[in-house]
Amino acid sequence: MSIIIISSDSRNVEEEMAKRVADAKGFDIVDCRVLEDVAKDCNVDPGILEKALENTPSILKKMPQARWRYYLSCIEAEVLERLRRDNVVCWGVAAHLYVIGVSHAMKVRLISGSARRAASIAELQGTSMNIARKWVDDEEKRRKKWSLSAYGIDETSPSIYDLVINLDQIDPDEAVGTIIEAVGYRKFRPVTYSVKCLSDLAIAARVRAELLRSMKDIRVQARDGTVIVFVKGSGREKVKKSRAIKEIAGKIDGVSFVEVHVKRNITDAEGMESPDRSRYPGWPVIGKTSHDVDKAAN
Amino acid sequence: MSEKKLRIMVIDDENIVGKRLKPALEKSGYLVETFEDGETALARYDEEPFDIVVTDIRMEKVDGIEVLEKILAKSDRTKVIIITGYATVEVAREALSKGAFDFIAKPFKPDDLRTIIKRAANELRQ
Repeated sequence: MSIIIISSDSRNVEEEMAKRVADAKGFDIVDCRVLEDVAKDCNVDPGILEKALENTPSILKKMPQARWRYYLSCIEAEVLERLRRDNVVCWGVAAHLYVIGVSHAMKVRLISGSARRAASIAELQGTSMNIARKWVDDEEKRRKKWSLSAYGIDETSPSIYDLVINLDQIDPDEAVGTIIEAVGYRKFRPVTYSVKCLSDLAIAARVRAELLRSMKDIRVQARDGTVIVFVKGSGREKVKKSRAIKEIAGKIDGVSFVEVHVKRNITDAEGMESPDRSRYPGWPVIGKTSHDVDKAAN
Repeated sequence: MSEKKLRIMVIDDENIVGKRLKPALEKSGYLVETFEDGETALARYDEEPFDIVVTDIRMEKVDGIEVLEKILAKSDRTKVIIITGYATVEVAREALSKGAFDFIAKPFKPDDLRTIIKRAANELRQ
């Protein structure tokens, strides 16, 4: 009863290893196929969602930042809901960046040396090693920028993973064996606390996705059905916004109480980062704002 | 013949926790003793073992992780449930690695704990 989240610097590697681990464990797979369902909910083409998972708004001129953030929040909400079923291997939907604080979710990063990746790219695209090397470097920079903009986390940093395997040194068969052995450790068993954390994350993500349909700059915390929403706003719009948020969030399954904080800046000292963090210790937070994106991009 | 009542030990330095849990668990048919520090609880365990131990983590002198280790060293049959107001992934994983049966963040509803205890009781009776 665990969750294995696999990510890699190569999509093919992620897919192959996720399938092998899922087969060996008899687990279900959660991957980019969820985008079909998310696309129906958002009323967009699944290709747009794929692009949102790949690119930051600055590159995608046709996708404004508010839409980009909305699409990501919809993907996040759907994936978190599916992860609640347990016994799942997840890849390709950036779950390693938003499944935070769930002790029974084991995050695995599979890396291969840039020389090997460049050689494989050169062969695949029929280009020189120099061009392939540059492509690999650019790709790494792009992923780093994307993960920082979307979730404020550098996905190329090994410290965010529970297990990092270098496929230049460890054969795929050995890597599958290592992952299966590691997920068998007691520490990755679900406990009441971790199951609740995942459930709270899923509710917070669902609330945020619903709110981002019509608003922007939203952060959400959830615990045991109580939801706290932080939103940017000032003056007269405070009451109106608060009322609208309570109405939308209150209709979502699992939400029993909604508290709204409309602030001029939801990431400064007056916002959630200091007083509310201490008021609600350990509450999972869902949502990056435009302010965070600007910070990450700089 | 009725089943022997399971014995539960609740350890928390905030005495309100023991005061609230004792009647709630006794109502479910368990024998409950409460303690406000790990040292006294461990001494009592030496006199007479308990089936289930519910312990807070942050306590002076002997903390909950130490209680967990010492109790499991005495009897691996005992189910130790960790409760804490300072839950993190790291602490949860440490407790599980050291053999905790379950881990729950405070505040929790008595029903949440009752569900865990029921599961522990079922395993003990198997």
